[in-house]
Amino acid sequence: MSTLDYFEVESTDKVGADQYRRLASVVIGDHGLLKVIQKIHIYIDPEVPVFVAVGITRTLLAAIRVSDIGAITNQDGQVIISINEETYLAALLQVLWNRFSKDMVQQPDRFTIMMDLTNEEAEILPDMIVIDPTDTLYKDLIYSMQIICPEGFKVRKQNFLAGKFYFVASEDTLPEDIMPLVREKFALMGETI
Amino acid sequence: MILEPVSYKGGVYRHDEILDLIEDLGGYIIQKHIIAQDVILQALIPKTDIDLLRTIARPLAGEVTTAPLVGTEIAVVSMSLEIHHLPHASCDVAEYLRTEGAKTNMIGLARGFGKRIALMNEEERAIINEHDCAVYLLGNFESCIQKKMPVLRRGITVPILVCGAPEREKLMQIIDPPVDGYIGGVGRFMHRTKEAGEIARLDDIVREVAQVLDTKRAAIAKDPLSVSPARLMDVIISEIPDIRYVTSPIPVVVQIDGLRVKLPFDLYAGEIGDIRIEEGIRIASLAAITPSRMRNYILIKIKPFSETGIRV
Repeated sequence: MSTLDYFEVESTDKVGADQYRRLASVVIGDHGLLKVIQKIHIYIDPEVPVFVAVGITRTLLAAIRVSDIGAITNQDGQVIISINEETYLAALLQVLWNRFSKDMVQQPDRFTIMMDLTNEEAEILPDMIVIDPTDTLYKDLIYSMQIICPEGFKVRKQNFLAGKFYFVASEDTLPEDIMPLVREKFALMGETI
Repeated sequence: MILEPVSYKGGVYRHDEILDLIEDLGGYIIQKHIIAQDVILQALIPKTDIDLLRTIARPLAGEVTTAPLVGTEIAVVSMSLEIHHLPHASCDVAEYLRTEGAKTNMIGLARGFGKRIALMNEEERAIINEHDCAVYLLGNFESCIQKKMPVLRRGITVPILVCGAPEREKLMQIIDPPVDGYIGGVGRFMHRTKEAGEIARLDDIVREVAQVLDTKRAAIAKDPLSVSPARLMDVIISEIPDIRYVTSPIPVVVQIDGLRVKLPFDLYAGEIGDIRIEEGIRIASLAAITPSRMRNYILIKIKPFSETGIRV
């Protein structure tokens, strides 16, 4: 995975490690996390058993605002949004319905949204956030780690804070303090937590 | 007469001539698929007549190939039905075995995952034992395979083939007592098998399954079955008209030593048992007719000659 600055899978079982390297790269790619993860180190010891994934995310993508999705024109209080990015149309409608109610939001055709707004409402409209990628990033990251890790590893502990995440899972009860192990794996990437 | 499993691929045009020929030769059509303008037949035909079939199929642009898995029902056992094991590798393996003529059933264990916590319940065991053999799709770590195999093989009476990421020799070394077949390099993965190396691994599985089933056939040949499963299938299809209303693609599944009939046991088991194959010989006198653990199907296991003293 050339887009990651660091990607290692470490295991006491060499054959298993090679398999998991391919598996992890497929899962990360399939979940669209290649642009998000900067470094990741996975450690699996099937004898203990324990699965540890530690990583660092890149500077997060900017939120998508109404002005990013379409051109906004205001004619005496009648605001018209001409959609040019249909991908986010469903989310945009949801946001507008929640903010202004369904009665106020007219959609005469697929790419046009018309609303009668006050001056204050029209002013805040372009900056309203439609989708914030950070909202789902944590869930996506942890979900992908759950898929990568062996299925029987149901006992887990995870954290994501300030661009650094860790995911530890096992079939048995985890040790009370897993942080030394997590720190050790962060150190292998040249990072601290 | 030795029947050879073959697969015929050709066009729809004049394919009925091939059907008639197979029947005239004393062969049996196990499966027939019409896909757009193509016909795929899985059939058993007399070994000596394969060249004749090829000759007649040539002007119709038909292709006849030997398909060692025709007439077998194979259990592809996945450790769970979670995304970890499905659709890859379980579906890839099951699909590839089907292309070689096998009827495969995927069995997802309720709690087959994990090293220490892996379990198999009585129903799962019973369903696996209804098949000709079971292909176990295990994971990537040899210590896990070693630890969980005793649990997964307990009570299984059909031949077991184990797929796992460690090399074949390593699998043979760690699984004790030995199982019937080993395929290395096929562990847990999450992508479609399409690279040459991956297809080669799937070919290894087909080869190993064919070998295991050949051994099983050879063992059965020492004390032959009272009637050929393919012939029994033909008799049931002609005598039970309701079989035509079964929506399943294969209403009667042929196994090496029996059949699975996809009709309700309570309603049809008696009727099937009373069918006369030849004068004075009922199916019930040649085979054990039992309820299948798979839905409410009928499972027929043909008794050997030594038990019935009859050879039809």
